[in-house]
Amino acid sequence: MSDIAVAKILDLKGLPCPMPVVKMSQEIGSVQVGEVIEVHTTDPGSLSDFPAWASTAGQEVLTSEQNNGVIKIFVKRLV
Amino acid sequence: MDETRKQELIKTLSSRLNQAMRMYLDNCTRCGTCIEACHAYASEPDIKYSPVGRAQNIRRLYEKYFKGAGKLAPWLSEAIEFDDAVMKKVYDTAYTCTGCRRCVTYCPFGIDTQQIQSLAKQLLIVADMEPKVLSMLADMSIAKGKNIDKTKGSFATAVSNLETEVLERWRSEAGAKAVPLDVQDANVLYIALAGKHSIIPAASIMNAAKEKWSLSYFEAVNFGAFVGNPQKTKEIADRIIQEATRLNVKEVVICECGTAYRVMKYMTGEHPFKVISFIELIARYLQEGRIKLDKAKLQGRKVTYHDPCQLARNGGVYEEPRYILSHLTDDFVEMTPTREDNWCCGGGGGLVAMGEKDFRMKSAKVKVDQFTATGAQVLSTACENCHTQLSDLSEHYKTGVKVEYLSDLVSKALVQE
Repeated sequence: MSDIAVAKILDLKGLPCPMPVVKMSQEIGSVQVGEVIEVHTTDPGSLSDFPAWASTAGQEVLTSEQNNGVIKIFVKRLV
Repeated sequence: MDETRKQELIKTLSSRLNQAMRMYLDNCTRCGTCIEACHAYASEPDIKYSPVGRAQNIRRLYEKYFKGAGKLAPWLSEAIEFDDAVMKKVYDTAYTCTGCRRCVTYCPFGIDTQQIQSLAKQLLIVADMEPKVLSMLADMSIAKGKNIDKTKGSFATAVSNLETEVLERWRSEAGAKAVPLDVQDANVLYIALAGKHSIIPAASIMNAAKEKWSLSYFEAVNFGAFVGNPQKTKEIADRIIQEATRLNVKEVVICECGTAYRVMKYMTGEHPFKVISFIELIARYLQEGRIKLDKAKLQGRKVTYHDPCQLARNGGVYEEPRYILSHLTDDFVEMTPTREDNWCCGGGGGLVAMGEKDFRMKSAKVKVDQFTATGAQVLSTACENCHTQLSDLSEHYKTGVKVEYLSDLVSKALVQE
């Protein structure tokens, strides 16, 4: 388990393509700069999609975890 | 709108005026045959949502800058100039068109509305007015291609975590990878979407067929095509082409994603490998006796099939899904109209990714009437975009019809010998 302090948890499990990234891009503005959103997804592709999105959106993926088929990605708002 | 932007727009319009485009723009007689061919007009009768209505803004701009009457006496014609208000209208018409091309099959002159709307989308990019969510997704795909080595390890772990679910559908031989990656000289490089629902059924089917296959690190969908940006479309497709070339695969097999199939098959040039859809691969396995299906899995449920526009009308894949369904059920019913005349689901052209639920639900009422009239309990299809839209329609109109991927039905009916 990560000990990162999170401001919001987004449950994006089971959403069709490309909604996990779309939802993330919509929700990042709902937390303050410097805060972290914890994303829950079941999409293997999210592990490449979220860092790629973050690099183009100026945000940062801190880390990711995988447990019992659930992928957790921690995204920090930078801008 | 400043003069520089206006000149850029004129230059872009000019760059697309090849012989075919001039024919599309010059030859419309306003006969109106296309109007009721559009699902949006058939559901919400408003002329701006008809193919001819959608094309009108582009025709009038073309008239202004490239036709004698528009240049010399614009007050005598319908010519209009580029400005912000006109581009807003171009947006409204371009992003309510799903690019299904049903209208093209009805036009006596073969005018391709989708090509006119692709020009409209290119103009919107120049005007910086394209849907930003589509550009964002296209940029993400390109960035993924540049940085894939950093995330390969975690992706491989996530894929190996799917093995139990794959093995529940088909027990592979001991020691065999249920979802293989990086297989040199594979027969098949399978291009999935980000979600496990587009990996698990496909993996079980290919394992059942004893295929030598490899899962791609990249997603099939091409958002560069949705947003109408040729350069981004190419960059996104190139990621897959390079991977397929590196692995020396015989075939690139595109998952159930209509746009991905059309882009890779028809818009990326010649390759040292073949491009086919996963539906064609399943049909081949059945034909060669490499997989067998149990019809009992769908017993008691009537099944119909929605032809995804990009796979069928724009891709020619009509027989294979019906052949597969003949192995899945004895209770199949065609929609009316069907095949080339099938109504679009109403979610293409980027509309699903953009949200636009209110418009999607209203503009596809004719689709709901079409599939509920079959009396089927199961609506099968072979495109993620169509699946999402049809599921939204079924829920919105409370039809009780269950929307299913064809590959999912096949993988659940596999007979383990």
